[in-house]
Amino acid sequence: MTKRINFWFIFAFLVPLLVAIPIFTVFLSFFDTTGNYLDLLKDTFLLKYLSNSFLILLGVLSLTFIFGVTSAYFVSFYKFPGVNFFKWALILSFAVPAYIYAYSLVAFFENYGTAFSILTFLFGEGDYNKNIPKFDGLIGSMFSISFSLFGYVYVLTRASFVFQSHNLIEVGKNLGLSSYESFFKIILPSARPAIVVGLSLVAMETLSDFGTVDFFSISTLTTAIYNAWISFDDLTTANQLSFVLLFFILLLFILENISRRGAKYHQNSKGNKPIPKIQLVGGKSIFATCFCSILFFCSFIFPVSQMTYWTIKFPKYFQDINFWSLNMNTLLLVFLSSLFLITFSFMTNYGNRVSKNKLLSYLSTFSVSGYALPGIILAVAFITFISWFSDLLTSIFGFDSFKNVFIGSVVGLVIAYFVRFFSLSYNGIKSGYSKINNSIDENAYLLGYSKFKTFSTIHLPYLKTNILLVGVLIALEIIKELPITLILRPFNFETFATKAYSYAAQDLLEAAAFPSLCLIIWASIFILFISKYILSEK
Amino acid sequence: MEKTMIKLIRIIGLAIVGLFSTLLVANSVIANEVNVFSARHYDSDVQLYEKFTAKTGIKVNVVSGKDKALQKRIKEEGKDSKADIYITADAGRLGAFQAEGMFQKGASSAAIKKVVPANFRSPYWVGIAKRARIIYYNPKTVNPSWNMSYEDLADPKYKGRVVIRKSSNIYNQSLVASLIKNNGEKNTAAWAKGMVNNFARKPTGNDRAQILAVAAGEADWAVANTYYLALMLSGSKGAEQQAAAKKVMPFFPNQDGRGTHMNISGGGILKHAPNKANAVKLLEFLLTPEAQQHIVNNTFEYPMIPGVKANKLIAQFGLDFKQDLKTKVSNYGKLQAKALKVMNEAGW
Repeated sequence: MTKRINFWFIFAFLVPLLVAIPIFTVFLSFFDTTGNYLDLLKDTFLLKYLSNSFLILLGVLSLTFIFGVTSAYFVSFYKFPGVNFFKWALILSFAVPAYIYAYSLVAFFENYGTAFSILTFLFGEGDYNKNIPKFDGLIGSMFSISFSLFGYVYVLTRASFVFQSHNLIEVGKNLGLSSYESFFKIILPSARPAIVVGLSLVAMETLSDFGTVDFFSISTLTTAIYNAWISFDDLTTANQLSFVLLFFILLLFILENISRRGAKYHQNSKGNKPIPKIQLVGGKSIFATCFCSILFFCSFIFPVSQMTYWTIKFPKYFQDINFWSLNMNTLLLVFLSSLFLITFSFMTNYGNRVSKNKLLSYLSTFSVSGYALPGIILAVAFITFISWFSDLLTSIFGFDSFKNVFIGSVVGLVIAYFVRFFSLSYNGIKSGYSKINNSIDENAYLLGYSKFKTFSTIHLPYLKTNILLVGVLIALEIIKELPITLILRPFNFETFATKAYSYAAQDLLEAAAFPSLCLIIWASIFILFISKYILSEK
Repeated sequence: MEKTMIKLIRIIGLAIVGLFSTLLVANSVIANEVNVFSARHYDSDVQLYEKFTAKTGIKVNVVSGKDKALQKRIKEEGKDSKADIYITADAGRLGAFQAEGMFQKGASSAAIKKVVPANFRSPYWVGIAKRARIIYYNPKTVNPSWNMSYEDLADPKYKGRVVIRKSSNIYNQSLVASLIKNNGEKNTAAWAKGMVNNFARKPTGNDRAQILAVAAGEADWAVANTYYLALMLSGSKGAEQQAAAKKVMPFFPNQDGRGTHMNISGGGILKHAPNKANAVKLLEFLLTPEAQQHIVNNTFEYPMIPGVKANKLIAQFGLDFKQDLKTKVSNYGKLQAKALKVMNEAGW
């Protein structure tokens, strides 16, 4: 018995520790610092970088709040034409990464872009460029990121609406509140925890975005860290900036955690009747349909159409793509990463459960912040750490260098993904675990079940749905992941994301269309596969 | 259920063993190969590598990516790095990497020295293709005098009529570095302020977007690299952009002075290259007439060696313009940080 506890304990101790390494790496200086990037930065850029990050964050949070909460409100409480379609169609926005959204946006609105072609096709030759709206990179980034992320707010808010206590709303009605008043006085406040959780996820993803802001050449805190570290080899500055970033993110984490607790309190899951939906008529019904249609069009149909249009218009780029290997590489990474992530987070969760150790639970909480560390920073931290560690072992024990095993290999990629997405996987499984009452375990032990047997015959089957969900979420993230793959991949290894990026980087957006489209299709398949679970009303 | 668990553990075990054994096999086979880290992403480069393999039997392995991230990876891998050649656009980047001691001598072999002009190579790296950063104008609204210069673009009479991309762009940093080298930092700072005053809009988009802004009448003057216009004229950006490109004229500045600003795409052999001999062969191959012809026809850059004709879409702008051969491209790397500072202080 003791022996087994040790095994689980050590496991639950080591995995989060591994995941936390890059965060330590960011903070601890392993080597001498050079350069005076901070002086340059202080004089000229720092304020601009901070304000860019802040503006984008503010814009994205406002937009995702409006998009997510409004659409969730409509589909949860009302009947209007298309409501059953929009309910799941709106989550397809998850399939379009923000950087691919950015490609579409630029291609459509640029001088002599797709909008110009459409106008020329419809009305003949003309000077339309003046009339096509132009926006700068900051606005472009806000919209790209918002349309690709509002799904978080939508899904979580909708879930909270669906489970909202019917009685509360009934009471409101009896008190004579209008639907407008009951929305602001009852529905919105009681969904607040879920909305905050959604928004803090959006905020974390926004702060760590690299692909989009890089494409628009907007300098943010994340690009500042990247530049300080990589261009100027100034680790001190990189650390100081990272500290600012992590401080923001830590705040978000705390906020999110507090709200999650609130969310549990508000979701009373027993004896919950589904709320009868109210049929909208006239102008209100048209408004609801229009709002959801526009949102669905902008977030999914628009980028998909732009990419399809290009794929058809410039068929010559087909031949340059090794379609088979792109599919295989992407799926290989998805398979290996979800396998390891799910297995390890299962065991860590179980270790936490059986040992009930405070230290372990703190460590797990801390390690999940790997998700908050921007992918590009994580990738660089990974390279730095492996290189340092390998040199250390070589100098002390005379080991052969193992850098090549981890840098520029599939193993390295899987480990880096592991660190980045451990939080997703760990928490996904944890949420399922928290529903299994501890007394079930105790009964199993009384029946003479070993810990391993309890784990494999009771927990594992019970959490099947959770595993599926977590697996698909990991798959979605990995299909869309760009900076880690770009930096750590082996020779001659491309995924849809890196292929699309490298075409976009050489100003061949039309060639990037086909890999982007494949990426969206794969992601959509995965989303449709789990939409039933995400949208479950039970 | 116990069985499922055992199955699962088996699968994981197999996956781990499989992964590591593939790696070991991959590591232990000594192949006839050369490994390229490239910040240029052209598919045409990959086709060229395939030609090289067909000719020599040497396999070319490629990782492409962002310039600085690739450099970081090479540095951290240290002597374990498998990378032989590092290829990137812009001499500033090559120079900066050289200054960090990451290249070894040997890029300019005897054969290469014979064909590549001295200011486009160093013992550590060699240019593979050239590009000029030039002025574009709208012939309907303005007409530049034959000796117009980059310096003239800051003239207050062009207020609100000039477009150029952001200061974070390496091509701008190299151009401004060459101005600092020739005119000094103080004058260049004043020039940068004049430029910012003349901007028609906040810098946005890539080089092609600047040319399109002139075509659309948003501005009269743009600064951009030569190959972008050719790319649009080739029709590979669609009929609308092909037509738009025809509304814009290229102009080669500083003809009565030092000449038009030139830059290169180039490569060098890395300090710890495991396949140095093959690396030299690949660089030499890239500078053969056959390879050069392939490059200029696909990327619309200028050839690096004599005897190869630029693509006709580029050649039609004239090939006898005066190139700035006086300002050594190695200065771009050295003055990069100053250039960035000058532009940022001007609010660029």
